[in-house]
Amino acid sequence: MTGAVTPGSGLARALLSVGIALVVAAVIMHLSGYDALSGLAALWAGATGLRAGPPQADGQIAFGAGPFTGHLDVYNLAQSLARSTPLLFTGLSVALGLRAGLFNIGAQGQMIAGALAAAVIGGAGGGTLPGPVHLLLVLCAGALAGAAWGAVPGILRATRGVHEVISTILFNYLATNLATYLVTHGLKDPDPRKMAPQTAAIAPTAHLHPWVAGSNLTAGLLLALVAAMGVACLVRRTSAGFQIRAVGQGLEAARAAGISVPGVMVRAMALAGALAGVAGAIEVMGVHHRYVQGLAGTYGFDGIAVALLGGLNGMGVTLSALFFGALSNGAEFMELETNVPRALAVIVQAIVILCVGVRLARRSLARQVVAAVQDSDEDLLEEEHAGR
Amino acid sequence: MSAPTVAELLPDPPPAVRMENITKRFPGVVANRGVHLQVRAGTFHAVIGENGAGKSTLLNILYGRYRPDAGRIFLHGEEVTQELRGPIDAIRHGIGLVSQHHALIPALSLLENVVLGSEPVLPGGVLDWRRAAARIQSLAKQLGLGTLDLSQRAERLSVAAQQKVEILKALYRGARILLLDEPTATLAPQEAEALFALLRGLVQRGTTVVFVTHKLREVMAHSDAVSVLRAGRNAGDFVTRETDERTLLQCMMGARSGSGVAFRVPLTGELEPDPALPVPGMEAAVFRPIRPLSGSPLFQIEHATVRNLRGARAVQDVSLEVGMGEIVGVAGVDGSGQQELAEAIIGLRPMETGRLFLAGVELTRMRVRARQRQGIAYIPEDRHRSGLVLDFDIAENYLLGHEDCEDWGGGWVLKPAVMFRRAAEMVQRYDVRTGFRGVPTPVRDLSGGNQQKVVFARAMESRPRFVVACQPTRGLDVEATRFVYRTLLQARERGAGVLLFSLDLDELLYLSDRVAVMFNGRIVGLLPRDTASAERIGALMTGSAEAMEGAS
Repeated sequence: MTGAVTPGSGLARALLSVGIALVVAAVIMHLSGYDALSGLAALWAGATGLRAGPPQADGQIAFGAGPFTGHLDVYNLAQSLARSTPLLFTGLSVALGLRAGLFNIGAQGQMIAGALAAAVIGGAGGGTLPGPVHLLLVLCAGALAGAAWGAVPGILRATRGVHEVISTILFNYLATNLATYLVTHGLKDPDPRKMAPQTAAIAPTAHLHPWVAGSNLTAGLLLALVAAMGVACLVRRTSAGFQIRAVGQGLEAARAAGISVPGVMVRAMALAGALAGVAGAIEVMGVHHRYVQGLAGTYGFDGIAVALLGGLNGMGVTLSALFFGALSNGAEFMELETNVPRALAVIVQAIVILCVGVRLARRSLARQVVAAVQDSDEDLLEEEHAGR
Repeated sequence: MSAPTVAELLPDPPPAVRMENITKRFPGVVANRGVHLQVRAGTFHAVIGENGAGKSTLLNILYGRYRPDAGRIFLHGEEVTQELRGPIDAIRHGIGLVSQHHALIPALSLLENVVLGSEPVLPGGVLDWRRAAARIQSLAKQLGLGTLDLSQRAERLSVAAQQKVEILKALYRGARILLLDEPTATLAPQEAEALFALLRGLVQRGTTVVFVTHKLREVMAHSDAVSVLRAGRNAGDFVTRETDERTLLQCMMGARSGSGVAFRVPLTGELEPDPALPVPGMEAAVFRPIRPLSGSPLFQIEHATVRNLRGARAVQDVSLEVGMGEIVGVAGVDGSGQQELAEAIIGLRPMETGRLFLAGVELTRMRVRARQRQGIAYIPEDRHRSGLVLDFDIAENYLLGHEDCEDWGGGWVLKPAVMFRRAAEMVQRYDVRTGFRGVPTPVRDLSGGNQQKVVFARAMESRPRFVVACQPTRGLDVEATRFVYRTLLQARERGAGVLLFSLDLDELLYLSDRVAVMFNGRIVGLLPRDTASAERIGALMTGSAEAMEGAS
């Protein structure tokens, strides 16, 4: 119907891309003097928790029998899933923006804004608030801060014609530097023994607890999956989503049909920002229990790759977030075990994205992305005119 | 009959152009099937046919833009099939093309535009502007264009003047065979006459001119010979003075035309049922009763002034009324403010001054959607950009603009089943040819005529009181054009008002009860049908002063 990747062929192609990328990675490992086979095995074990041979430690579950015995390392699997959680949120954020024809490069900044707000609200109440209420408040704070960070570029685009690629990049700088300032000045951890650029710890009532001891996997993953379903339903099943798609794929037709294009743009960007903001809030609540400098890593930017590999649809983005999360965790494990540098995983990631890019070049999805990136001056003039 | 001259007794020189058995396939369509074209040197040769008959494809093959899948091409008796690999080769063989879309670079001067691609160079790679300018001026004099200001930027020229510069450019590059693709599509009648006079002059001096058109009147008035294409095949070759308009039309339309003027439907009275074209089911659509308002017309725009994108006043102090059951046509050279006026009425463009009323309700401050709910429907000029979301399927496009209407399948949560059912009904009633995929077909994959049917179905099913239709038949073939005419006339029969913007004078004269003529953003004449004529409108369109005196 639209740019959505058809489930069958899309998945097959994605798997093919991954296969090609892994072969290239193996060749590089071999040429660099590493044992490619054990490197890949470690990557797989770190990514999925699955490994041949009987269990060797607690928290590993045996399966199979005889020569086909294997075990599942629950911790590794949990860490991969934990890595996927923010990626799923930022991926959805980027995908939703692109559905409206807006290239949201700003998931990074929106995530930081959400995390900062979550850290502030999480520290409030001194542990006296009832748990569920406090959790909800912190999530809302993250979502609202992210939404604000996304809505402003949306408003600028809708009323002044400022291109969202530029404004969201600038808003990333703004968020990063504002956060740096706050965690070293206004919101700095008051504990004099702690010199690190971070805020005070949030109250225990705002903690999300790990599902697997020692891991970062929390109910945040569940929330991310619900969000993915929610976004898919919104886009496919509601008139609000219909308007978003109409604006994204036929701006002029949407305008002529009486859809308020500025309104749709602002709402889509606010919602995209809220999704990224929740990613930040969940990292605060479940992983760091405070805002720490660098908490957002590159999740916001990786979200672009997640969204594109996932073909902008809910299921696709979910699978691609799980893939990138597992790849990143697997790479760390591989480095730990075999000394193969984790940068190799970044190469795998890059090759997958390139393969997707080649495929994109022939699809309407690409038209959408290209249209979002290089808007004609005419459109901008038009919007400026409308906004006047 | 006088005795044959020496020239007539000599054996015929080889034809300037001979194309044999040309076949060209595009994915999913065969544009040319074994087409022949023979053009005598030094003649004015017309190629006519409906949209999609393969005329432009044939021209583009001759110009080297497309390579034929089969067939041979001869120029002056010499085979060049293998040599025509691109426009550069065609130019080298003395072929020049003036395309439908003007190909000058707006920011460059006339001089730069003309020499672009064949710049005269002095030793050392320095451009020899002086020699180029001298050659262009002498060419212009031969063409009867007088002395040109070559430093002028192309964007400052009118469409007609740009076209002349393109012809000049082709001749500058040594064209002996000049191809023109629908050269008069965007010209006012007087401008078209001037163009033909110029081309006639060229032919007299030995240039061969091949032009593609679907305006039979031009063919009859100016050409020496005519080749007719139908559905990618040859349908006939004629010597112009030995044929007539009716014969050519029948040849163009093939079996579909019983009478000479097949697309004419009766203007008044009951519409005849036509077995070839199921009548769109507007009988089923109940128009909301329009309150009779004593004395006041259905639609009124008063003293409207509208600025265009560049901030210039594109519409100035326009006042117009449209009554119930009336079609008011708006004529004018392209770019006289029609687009801006239509957009202001729809609500897409703010009015600087002026007021709008529909059935006594003031719309001036309403948004697009609110005006639609008051009963305005819009058929935009550019259906690809403004009428449809090409990647949406038929049902989704049908919902567009009604996504908040429960009975269209909209509402907070969409109802795909309702959307599908309505779209399927609409497809059947309006005879949208969807191919095997039916309603889930992306409209991108429909033909132009079927896309326009979707646009019309959506507009008409909203039961409008007032329809603003902009160039509704542009690029459509005869059958789809018939559909459009029929639908507009049916809207009128049922009491809706129609404001019809068109560049096609025949269409305006045929459909309109009154014709308003725009020139430079103003309405310079408002003619009832019985006093309107193409000549009169044409004179007003070009701002002829005496015509204006008579028309006000």
